[in-house]
Amino acid sequence: MRIRFASPPGPVSARALPAPSAEAEALLARLDQNDFKAEPEEVLPILTGEGWRILVGLGERAALDDSALRRIGGNLFAELAQAGIVHLAVGLDLSPEQTAQVAYGVLLRAWRAPAQYRKTPDEEEIWHLAEVTMLCDAPDMARTCFARLEAVGRAVHFARDLVVAPGNVLTPPAFVDALGKIPGIELEVINPNKAGLNLLQAVGQGSQYKPALAVLRYRGAGRKDRPAVLVGKGITFDTGGISIKPAKYMEMMKGDMGGGAAVAGALMALAARNAPINVVGVVAIAENAVSGRASRPGDVVKGYGGLTVEIIDTDAEGRLALADALAYAAKNFTPSKIIDLATLTGAVEIALGFERAGLFATSDALAEQLFAAGEAEDEKLWRLPLTDLYDDAIKSDIADLKNCSWERGPDHIHAARFLQHFVPDDIPWAHLDIAGLSEAAEDGPLAAEGPTGFGVRLLDRVLA
Amino acid sequence: MKISFAKPASAPEGALVVTVLEGRLLGATGQALDAESGGALARALAKSRFEGKKDQTLLLHAPAGLKLDRLLLVGIGKGKGFDAKAAQGLGGLVVAQLGGSGDAEVTLAIDLVEGSSLSAAEIAANAAFGAKLRSYRFDRYRTKEKAEDKPSLKKLVVSVADHGDAKKSYQPLEAVAEGVFLTRDLASEPANIIYPETLAEQCKALSEQGVEVEVLGEKQMKKLGMGALLGVGQGSERESQLVVMRWNGGAEGDAPLAFIGKGVTFDTGGISIKPAGGMEDMKWDMGGSAVVIGLMKALALRKAKVNVVGVVGLVENMPSGTAQRPGDVVTTMSGQTVEVINTDAEGRLVLADALWYTQDRFKPHFMIDLATLTGAIIIALGDQYAGLFSNDDKLADKLIAAGKDVGEGVWRLPVDDPYDKQIKSDIADMMNVGGREGGSITAAMFLKRFVNGVKWAHLDIAGVTWSKKDGPVTPKGATAFGVRLLDRLVADNYEK
Repeated sequence: MRIRFASPPGPVSARALPAPSAEAEALLARLDQNDFKAEPEEVLPILTGEGWRILVGLGERAALDDSALRRIGGNLFAELAQAGIVHLAVGLDLSPEQTAQVAYGVLLRAWRAPAQYRKTPDEEEIWHLAEVTMLCDAPDMARTCFARLEAVGRAVHFARDLVVAPGNVLTPPAFVDALGKIPGIELEVINPNKAGLNLLQAVGQGSQYKPALAVLRYRGAGRKDRPAVLVGKGITFDTGGISIKPAKYMEMMKGDMGGGAAVAGALMALAARNAPINVVGVVAIAENAVSGRASRPGDVVKGYGGLTVEIIDTDAEGRLALADALAYAAKNFTPSKIIDLATLTGAVEIALGFERAGLFATSDALAEQLFAAGEAEDEKLWRLPLTDLYDDAIKSDIADLKNCSWERGPDHIHAARFLQHFVPDDIPWAHLDIAGLSEAAEDGPLAAEGPTGFGVRLLDRVLA
Repeated sequence: MKISFAKPASAPEGALVVTVLEGRLLGATGQALDAESGGALARALAKSRFEGKKDQTLLLHAPAGLKLDRLLLVGIGKGKGFDAKAAQGLGGLVVAQLGGSGDAEVTLAIDLVEGSSLSAAEIAANAAFGAKLRSYRFDRYRTKEKAEDKPSLKKLVVSVADHGDAKKSYQPLEAVAEGVFLTRDLASEPANIIYPETLAEQCKALSEQGVEVEVLGEKQMKKLGMGALLGVGQGSERESQLVVMRWNGGAEGDAPLAFIGKGVTFDTGGISIKPAGGMEDMKWDMGGSAVVIGLMKALALRKAKVNVVGVVGLVENMPSGTAQRPGDVVTTMSGQTVEVINTDAEGRLVLADALWYTQDRFKPHFMIDLATLTGAIIIALGDQYAGLFSNDDKLADKLIAAGKDVGEGVWRLPVDDPYDKQIKSDIADMMNVGGREGGSITAAMFLKRFVNGVKWAHLDIAGVTWSKKDGPVTPKGATAFGVRLLDRLVADNYEK
């Protein structure tokens, strides 16, 4: 589907034919409140003698912030993609900036799983809509505004493509390959076995595919600028390992690399829009598989940097992979800050549900920046406690740490505290537990049911 | 355990406790003893790992040159930052260390702590408070306990130069401790002893302290239309009660502060019955109401200059032929209807009517409710913080500040509209559960529907009401979490 920008035949507010405003008023006059209230995101297609005319509710003009505009765009697409309309012209009498935001919403919503997974397309998923023309008075300016948004939007699609990919397709080497194809990004692949990333190795050792630490570099600023480091959990499939998961819904675990996908997407976006900063992405890639070579509960492994970990539960593997990635990043990249993202715990879903991701941070300033970026992008976060009060849960009888506790309690907080041990105190650090947000169980305004690409827009904004 | 204040003795006898700052720095009392013993203390310090770090202790038996039987050195860390909470911890530690030592009487010597913003008298008062709080014991059902298993410590003397000031500072703190003890007693009592009518009797006893108490029975509640609260209690033999407690210490006509407590005296879960393992803990599902009752006692005892109303909804949630069923629809006092999907999500039903009644009748300045409401909060925050939900940022900030001061931490969680969709019902205005995910938040969203524009905060205390471990001033068991927090909130912000 293409998105174009064009001038309307005349000023949007006072045009001859077709004159949306005048025509809309005429249509509105024939409708009553029950048919159309002009509330935000309301969409009403009407078949007239001239063809389809679509009424779009905007609500109060004063309340039309970027978030509202994106939702209007997203909903417009959702309502009309399969309505039999091929070309859609959208004239909402908005500024170029606002028009670009509506187009951004359309773009974000216009994603579906790549066709490669079906022989024949699903009838219900066919989009008739092939082109959306956004009408506004200064289309060039709108186009310019949209270019930057489009870079981010395409990166969100990329992240969703990665998350939706099945575990037999997006294997660790396939994930590495995909990361190598991001334009403007330099990829270095580190062998955990050789680099002393023994925790990452332990997570991946049961799989036929070797684990890897993928380092993605984007240089948009001078060499002396310390980079922001983004770390992502990239478990391409999580069986739970020897502590195997129940069969029901285990297929969802193909998405256990959502954090890594968000990091990859963020780098893609930053590179595409030539952001003037240095960023390093680090993705800890492994398949947590069951086999005769797999790690056992009770195994003790020395991580990168020297701390030893007793693996109590092989299904608390994300924190092991991340621990090595964090320690490696801290030691090798002189980070100005580190932000990690991971589909880490079920507990965070009990705590915050599906509306907000868990935010843990050692720096109030970084926490506030992330929180604000989340509000602005509708990728919402909520800060949760990170204090030593919880440390009893990760004390091991024989090693420096254990990876979790069997006691019923705040496993997401325990996981965050566990990770904190691998980040030096002097580096501002934040951890986002996105287990509840990486995929959506129902359709939303900017993403249909399925992968959301959560984190890409948030990271793009917070680093911008 | 009795507590008294006295002048420091010139040649102390018996058991004595002195404080040591980090770096093995003895206080004035310690220095005097060291001199008298010919440097014995300094020698003992030098030969040990004891450095005076916070909560380190070193026990010396019959130190040479002194008349003492026992000398306990307690580390208090750095003087800077030695605040009221730290002083309370000191008192608690003394009781924990010497409560069963065999000594019937112990003297705690308080000196001025260099670097601390507290006076010696304030330190003494707070140490006494901490000692008192830590000395709590619920032993009324132990009929055959051996003497050596009982605490030996009967009297703690806090010696400090200006002991008169210390005693004066201690009085309001002692009132708070009395409130805490009442709350702990009520939460610890089994459900065959404390049920709605007997808990209401406990409330009535507060009239001795000047609290006006009014008890509404089922008939009156029915008249008021409290269908949600009554639905929860209808399976029980015991009559449900709603108790209103009023303390009028402020100016006449001032809008009262309102505290509302969930008082499910036993929660079997009802027809949606709970698993047997651990169900005995459900005797303290009235923990929120116990806090409100204890708080009323504390405020009355210390004659707080403020108008306060406490409202507790008391019910027993039992399965029986008359119990409410999953799927039942009840009409609340507000007129809103609720589809009861799970009879074990009963606390919010009780609170719904109690909240509405409170704002309707008293037009309070704010409403704060406390409830052992959800299992989800135990996953969300564990046992270190209570969940705080509020529609008012200022009130939330005040609660967070008060919590930090007294060591009863509250952590704010969202009450956002997006969560509201989880409690939509197919046939009624709302359901009483919204799924596992965000379970504490959806419970708060439910309560929010019964708050009509009033400033409101909800404390989900399910994770902090009962402790499996001893805390600095809280022995394991019922913690009375909330009494000190709310007393502080009132004292710091609302008393004239």
